[in-house]
Amino acid sequence: MSEPEETGGTARRAFLRGALGAGVAGVAATGIALHGRGTAAAAPADQPAVPFHGVHQAGITTPAPPHAVHVSFDVLAANRAELSDLFHTLTERARFLTAGGTPPDPGISAPPTDSGVLGPTVPADRLTVTVGVGASLFDDRYGLKARKPAGLTSMVTFANDHLDPAESHGDLSLQLCADNRDTVLHALRDLARHTRGAMQVRWRYEGFSSPPRPAGTPRNLMGFKDGTSNLDVNDSALMDKMVWLQDKTDQPWTAGGSYQVVRRIRMLVEFWDRVSINEQENMFGRRRDTGAPLDGNQETDVPNFAADPIGSAIPLTSHIRRANPRTPQSDASRILRRPYNYDRGVDDVGNLDMGLIFVCYQQDLLRQFETVQRRLADEPLVDYIQPVGGGYFLILPGVQDAGDYLGRGLLA
Amino acid sequence: MPPTVRSRLAGALPSCALACALVLSGCAGHDSQSEALTVTVSRGNCGTGWRTPHSGAQTIQVSNVGTVTTEVDLIDPATGGVYAEVEALAPNTTRPMQLTLGRASYAFRCLAEDTDAVTGPTIQINDGPPPPAAAVLPITNQDLTGAVAQYHGYVATGLGTLATNVAALVQTLRGGDQAASRSAWLTAHLAYERLGAAYDTFGDFADKIDGMPDGLPGGVRDADFTGLRRIEYGLWHGQSPASLVPVGSQLATDVAGLRADFPKERTDPNDLPLRAHEIMENALQFELTGQADQGSGTGLATVGANLDGTQAVLKALTPLMSKRYVGWPQVGTWITRTRAVVATAHRPDGTWIAPSALDPQTRKRLDASVGQLVEVLAPIAAIGDVRRTS
Ligand code: HEM
Repeated sequence: MSEPEETGGTARRAFLRGALGAGVAGVAATGIALHGRGTAAAAPADQPAVPFHGVHQAGITTPAPPHAVHVSFDVLAANRAELSDLFHTLTERARFLTAGGTPPDPGISAPPTDSGVLGPTVPADRLTVTVGVGASLFDDRYGLKARKPAGLTSMVTFANDHLDPAESHGDLSLQLCADNRDTVLHALRDLARHTRGAMQVRWRYEGFSSPPRPAGTPRNLMGFKDGTSNLDVNDSALMDKMVWLQDKTDQPWTAGGSYQVVRRIRMLVEFWDRVSINEQENMFGRRRDTGAPLDGNQETDVPNFAADPIGSAIPLTSHIRRANPRTPQSDASRILRRPYNYDRGVDDVGNLDMGLIFVCYQQDLLRQFETVQRRLADEPLVDYIQPVGGGYFLILPGVQDAGDYLGRGLLA
Repeated sequence: MPPTVRSRLAGALPSCALACALVLSGCAGHDSQSEALTVTVSRGNCGTGWRTPHSGAQTIQVSNVGTVTTEVDLIDPATGGVYAEVEALAPNTTRPMQLTLGRASYAFRCLAEDTDAVTGPTIQINDGPPPPAAAVLPITNQDLTGAVAQYHGYVATGLGTLATNVAALVQTLRGGDQAASRSAWLTAHLAYERLGAAYDTFGDFADKIDGMPDGLPGGVRDADFTGLRRIEYGLWHGQSPASLVPVGSQLATDVAGLRADFPKERTDPNDLPLRAHEIMENALQFELTGQADQGSGTGLATVGANLDGTQAVLKALTPLMSKRYVGWPQVGTWITRTRAVVATAHRPDGTWIAPSALDPQTRKRLDASVGQLVEVLAPIAAIGDVRRTS
């Protein structure tokens, strides 16, 4: 958790010369932050930390803690060197924030280096920082056209979508997850403070997951257990087949990365609450109380669609049957879902704005997410939900060690 | 005896009794070995007993066991530069000093209220790399005298321009031409905004000359809504220029009042470094958001004028800041970038695109530039916070 690190390398010093190397970063320029993670003391051992370094970024196959924020940014770096500064800064800050520790005292040279929201010593609190890039980053601004993987497109508009352009797409995505909401917000403030001139928030979603009610998988805001059937993140062979990008692709630098889909899907909860329980359960294909498939008794029972060819137990149009028909042909389209609930105020007609921040990871957007989404087109559930924004992002390969940084392969 | 600075913050404090005692007990968090240091200070002593600490990240607990509020600085005894400070340490309180010590000389300097500074013995650290951050030379009241005088001169000259522009505005309003009145209004308004008035700089005059309707019970119809913003409201809400002449005359009177008053007003030296970022913080809060806009949509012209005001402050502070602030060169970079975005909002016919009407990409560039600019300006206020050294 707090292994010693060397003083920053030459890449970091180059960053400090850049246009962003001032203000809070200027404090770093005086050298305080050059010592390891910029900590005066490591975080207490009882604060769980998710390792930041690795072949893959954390926040995908690591357990999903209850609080999350998904933010999309427009990148405004003036040129490629500043883009590189941006990725170095994000790496440095993420490394510190995910490990925790005591932020350096700037003496009389600057305002405090930390917001203090988490107290004088920042706890790790299982924070993960997961960074991705959108297709728009590969336009002609930074000379990255030749690095663009063919599989990275901008988010498709699907049949039942009602997308707000201001709430869709973006050059860079951040997923921050932690055990507590203040930790997530502290991290967001810190990252934004260090990168203001280089990127600006385009949209942001805040999510939470509920505790088990009363047991098993947490429920979404339609009252159904959500996440029962998912890819097994502990099966590394499966992850290599379904989630992680491999090196035999058109862009080998992306190996170890993954494709991220984030979509805010509004639930029309008032309307939903006026729907009979049978109709609700037939829409999903599962019992609301236990989460069991309609042909089973327990949440963990596996639906047997083959034994029910005309859908007398589980309707053919049900969400789980469309989403995963469980046939040899549909096998390759499976996705790793990592969704959160959201709740954000009231709409113009006095209805509560809440729903799902749908998040999933996969190796191939077309083969997986888009295939599943197309199968779901016009499912009965669409009358009660409305996708309003989000985007596709390529999650960058992991930061291997203290000398590495996010986007090294992209910018090398 | 040095005067008490930061009078805004410090209350009346008892003067030093015969023996003021200050104990610095250092708990060094270096590796696992934790060294408890007790340093007693009585009159003439500050930090004796701080034995040979090691380099590395440390937390030194500073306790005041005396009877007088004391500022404690950890300094480089050769230059007087400050590595860390504990400000206004009240009797019977303990506060941590967190820093990374390096191979260098250190000493504590104690500044008890109404007592000359006392510097403790020099401690030499002989292990580890040099200190990661150079000590910053504190800035005293006296250091700022020249800068304050220079800035005072800038404002006095600017007030003269404002008076001229306001007289022209009143004249134009009388003539009744709306387009000419709007243009004369903008000239006068920018003359005011160029002064860098932020956060109550000109006291009551600020509200009279440039106050907003917010917070007035009657809003835009309130009798106390006067001055430049009131004229703006009228000119962009179908009121005839001639009907605004009384407001203009009152404005001229208020500007004359400020001009007469200003030479008598003493500028608190502390205000100057503060203003270095406050002018633009103000611009961000009121102009970029459109909150201050009474219809003219000239918020970005105001931002440009506020940049002029900021640069006047920075110019006065350059000799003090350029060596003390490592991020100083970035300030120029971000002013230039902000100006470039602001310039795109200026139409060839002299009118301005309102911030809310900018295309999304330009809007993001504006937010990024101003956001980064206030970030790089903020350390100037911290470094320029007036400190005692003797
Ligand atoms: C507000 C929108 C949505 C709601 C309320 C919702 C809810 C659910 C529920 C209750 C389940 C059954 C429990 C489980 O196995 O996790 C489920 C399963 C699933 N959903 Fe959704 N979902 C939504 C959107 C989506 C979207 C957009 C996709 C992908 C395009 C998707 C793909 C899946 C998949 C693949 C499964 C697992 C099917 C299986 O393996 O049996 N869902 N969803």
